[in-house]
Amino acid sequence: MKQVLGDRKTIAILLGPALLVYTLVILVPVVWSFGYTFFKGNALEGFEFNGINNFTRLFTDPDVQAALGFTVKYALLLTILQVVFGYGLALLYTFVLKKSSAIIRTLVFFPVVVPTVAIALLYQKLFQSAPKDGLVNELLVNVGLGSVDWLGSGTTAFIVIVIMDVWRSMGFYGVLLYTGLLDIPEDIIESARIDGARGFSLFKNIVLPMSLPILYSSIIFSINGTIKVFDSVFALTGGGPGNETTPLTLYMYRTAFAFSDYGYGSTIALVLSIMCLIVTALIFRGARRDNTI
Amino acid sequence: MTVTNVDNLDRTSALVKHDVGGRTPAPIRFLKRIPVLIVIGVLLVIEIYPLFWMFINSLKSNTDFLNNPSWALPEVWEWGNYVSAWLTGNLATTITNSLIATVPSLALIVILGVAGGFALEVMVFKGRGGILLLILAGIMIPVQMILLPLFTIFFNLNITGSLLPLIIIYTGHGLPLTIFMMATYFRAIPREVFEAATIDGSSMLRSFWYIGFPMVRNAVITVGLVQFFLIWNDLLIAITFASNRSLNTIQAGLLNFSGEYGATDYGPLFAAICITTGGILILYLFLNQQIMKGLTAGSVKG
Amino acid sequence: MTTAPRSRRLRRPVVAALAAVGIGTMILSGCAAGGSSSEPTKLTYLKNTENTNTEPVFNELAENQCKTENTALPLEVSSIPQADLDSQIQLLASQNALPVMFAAAGTPAEGAKLDKAGKLLNFETELEKLGVLDDIEPAAISTIKNLYGGNFNFLPFQFNIEGIFYNKTMFAERGLEEPQTYDELVDVASQFEADGITPFTASGEQGWPITRLISSYLFRDLGPDALQKVADGDAKLTDPEYVAAAQAIADLGAAGYFDDNIASLDIDSSYNELLTGKAAMMYMGTWFLESANDPEKNTVGVDNIGFMPFPAVEGGAGSIDQYPANVGLPQTFGADTYTPKVADWLKCITENYGQVSLEQSGAISGFKSKEPVTDLPALTVDVQDRIAGSTESVLWFEALFNAKAGQDSSKNASLLVTGQLSPEDFMKLLQTDLDAG
Repeated sequence: MKQVLGDRKTIAILLGPALLVYTLVILVPVVWSFGYTFFKGNALEGFEFNGINNFTRLFTDPDVQAALGFTVKYALLLTILQVVFGYGLALLYTFVLKKSSAIIRTLVFFPVVVPTVAIALLYQKLFQSAPKDGLVNELLVNVGLGSVDWLGSGTTAFIVIVIMDVWRSMGFYGVLLYTGLLDIPEDIIESARIDGARGFSLFKNIVLPMSLPILYSSIIFSINGTIKVFDSVFALTGGGPGNETTPLTLYMYRTAFAFSDYGYGSTIALVLSIMCLIVTALIFRGARRDNTI
Repeated sequence: MTVTNVDNLDRTSALVKHDVGGRTPAPIRFLKRIPVLIVIGVLLVIEIYPLFWMFINSLKSNTDFLNNPSWALPEVWEWGNYVSAWLTGNLATTITNSLIATVPSLALIVILGVAGGFALEVMVFKGRGGILLLILAGIMIPVQMILLPLFTIFFNLNITGSLLPLIIIYTGHGLPLTIFMMATYFRAIPREVFEAATIDGSSMLRSFWYIGFPMVRNAVITVGLVQFFLIWNDLLIAITFASNRSLNTIQAGLLNFSGEYGATDYGPLFAAICITTGGILILYLFLNQQIMKGLTAGSVKG
Repeated sequence: MTTAPRSRRLRRPVVAALAAVGIGTMILSGCAAGGSSSEPTKLTYLKNTENTNTEPVFNELAENQCKTENTALPLEVSSIPQADLDSQIQLLASQNALPVMFAAAGTPAEGAKLDKAGKLLNFETELEKLGVLDDIEPAAISTIKNLYGGNFNFLPFQFNIEGIFYNKTMFAERGLEEPQTYDELVDVASQFEADGITPFTASGEQGWPITRLISSYLFRDLGPDALQKVADGDAKLTDPEYVAAAQAIADLGAAGYFDDNIASLDIDSSYNELLTGKAAMMYMGTWFLESANDPEKNTVGVDNIGFMPFPAVEGGAGSIDQYPANVGLPQTFGADTYTPKVADWLKCITENYGQVSLEQSGAISGFKSKEPVTDLPALTVDVQDRIAGSTESVLWFEALFNAKAGQDSSKNASLLVTGQLSPEDFMKLLQTDLDAG
């Protein structure tokens, strides 16, 4: 059997093209780009060798620390919320709505379709406080609370970003996890029912363990998306006020292009990639079938 | 064919056939449903309101938008916004370009990605874990950082005047995630299924195509959906590699509504968004019907 | 098994697959490839998407005044959002593939870098050779030299001065005159505030409308070279006289003279506050004329908006007639693609741009208009006169900053006027950025 599953020709045909494209389009440029971490400068003025200065700078740069703090805070919170809400939706689709869930799934999925620019504008208007109150402040005022300048300070702007991103992505995670739940063999659930498992115990003993693989990949998917957050922050707050909502990606992009230091930008990117890799490898190790890595 | 082997593993048929509440009287059952109905109602309001919001604001003049609450109905219904959206947003061109960039990338991602995921999870060979980890690393790469090398490469290949760079980058960038996700899905299928098939003399390539691929159909659709929206909503790559106006994609076209000192043409902007997302939504609803049919049919076509 | 046959076996399907992928994508994307030879066959023009003024003017020039030039070298416009312009220019410059004409330099420091790298045409020399240097306003040339590293290396397709736009009726109703000193300005503001009218509207979301007030105060107080001294290292933003300017503007915020919740006020809403009579004054550049002259946006009346310079600071070294000036996000010509055909275009543009621009949209450029254009709104004429009469111009707050300081300045401005950041810390932050280079 091992021979069939280990047939090199088959492996080459199946994996070769993907690996080739991946190597040429991602790996080569990445290695190329990380070469720049030892240089200072940009494409316009030329590069000069900088030794490990970029790395020492990294550890003393208060902006990197702030951006790292924001990124970690955002990624952790959002990953948890996305997956929890998504899983909740998936359970709702599978066990409560059953066959009639199609239309609701589609509608809840809808925000994923809308361009980030539009969503950011919508949230700017919803949480608007000047020149007049938006819907959210209007509600706050009506229940006797004051109006808040949501995007005017770092803490409240962070809340808006999180609400916006959970809102736009939970439908997506709902569908993603729903596919996973569908794949749980029906006879397993059936036999658990015959054994008297109901409600929460059915969920805890059967559904949850069976959906762990898809949960793992959702978490990995989510954490990688959230660590690399760029579009939504860029469109909603532009990283402001001050640098209070600037994630590492945005700081890196600005450093490389707006501040014309491609070398230092690459260094920040390297840190970001290593960060993602460690987190993923940890989750991945726990989830793998035959712990080969 | 080996359909019999696969039949009991096909989980695509509706999951729970019998109703738990079937034994309780109807009024109580209805009362039990109330919390669920409330949850669903709130959910729908939260998710659908923006659709409505965008639509009513697409019909307002800028003055109306700035001076009245944004949830109010338009003072004058400015249907002309849709005309200027179509023209200013250059929508005829940008929609075409978005499709040309998205469709081939998506096809390549799905075919190469599913095959790659199958090879990495089902096949057994040395270095498998290493390759998987390498691919995993690719998911983490922030695309902002490889813009310079890619630009240099594409420029020297002399293809920067076409949509080819977009297709290539989207494909390369979408692959790691797809391979990884497909590997996860294949993990759920016991290897014995494929081994059994090969006893019948079917080669692994055939097993992949006739057994593996159909079994992960749901997953392929999900992954395809993920990739579609990642590509469709991309702005950074699109404006970096297709800045020529005849190559602009929809997202780049939406920026035509902003002014140099920060001013925005809100009405036409929302109109353009309504046109483009409306199209996608209809497409999605249509595909969703197809997908649902596929799911409930519950048979493996081979 | 040896490695050699294995690799041979691997190769064939890979090549086949690659070919399939390649052909498939080629067909689908229509493999049009642009040549990169140094002799341009088109007048390629890359502009920032947000700039909507230049393209219609160029189109008209191509159809009429510069028809011959356009036949020889057809105009081809493409555009990219401002936020990504600098990165695109860098990428193109790295491949020696800059367009013939392009917008550049979101920050003046970037423009100076391009110039230093030898990528830009020196218009002083070239326009002299073409005999059309006199068609450019000297004030515009001096502004460009001040901004972009000392050479006349960008073209003034826009020429803006900045000052305070105000609601004339609101002033008249209270018997107020245009304030001549900063103290008078604060006094005027307090009267509006007492009547429940927002004295100053400013977009905190953009930030720069606030920092412009700081630099205006600095120029009036310390003289027109105040920020040049900082750039040269002869003074620091953390010096007490510099912090005093930030303090003055922070005080306006503390007294409640700006809009409520200013931090998230966007620029459209800010314009709208003044144009619908909810605010009395707004500091802005003269590009705002386009909105002010639009009766649909301007409900208080086109004749009801006035323009005045930022007032003097008593005992200060600067004078009230020094207007901050700029040329918008500037456009330029690449040095490497400057051929005789391009030179013909440049000559034609220089001779005709001013006239067409003014006729088309009333937009003021740094190109002289050959014949006077009549029927312009009074406010536009007033601004034109002020430009013609001004002898010395000053820059804006971030003009000589590096990109990071510029970014931090506009991003933190709203925190300054809402009291979330002290004037000392604000200036210290910027000085740190400047020191980092």
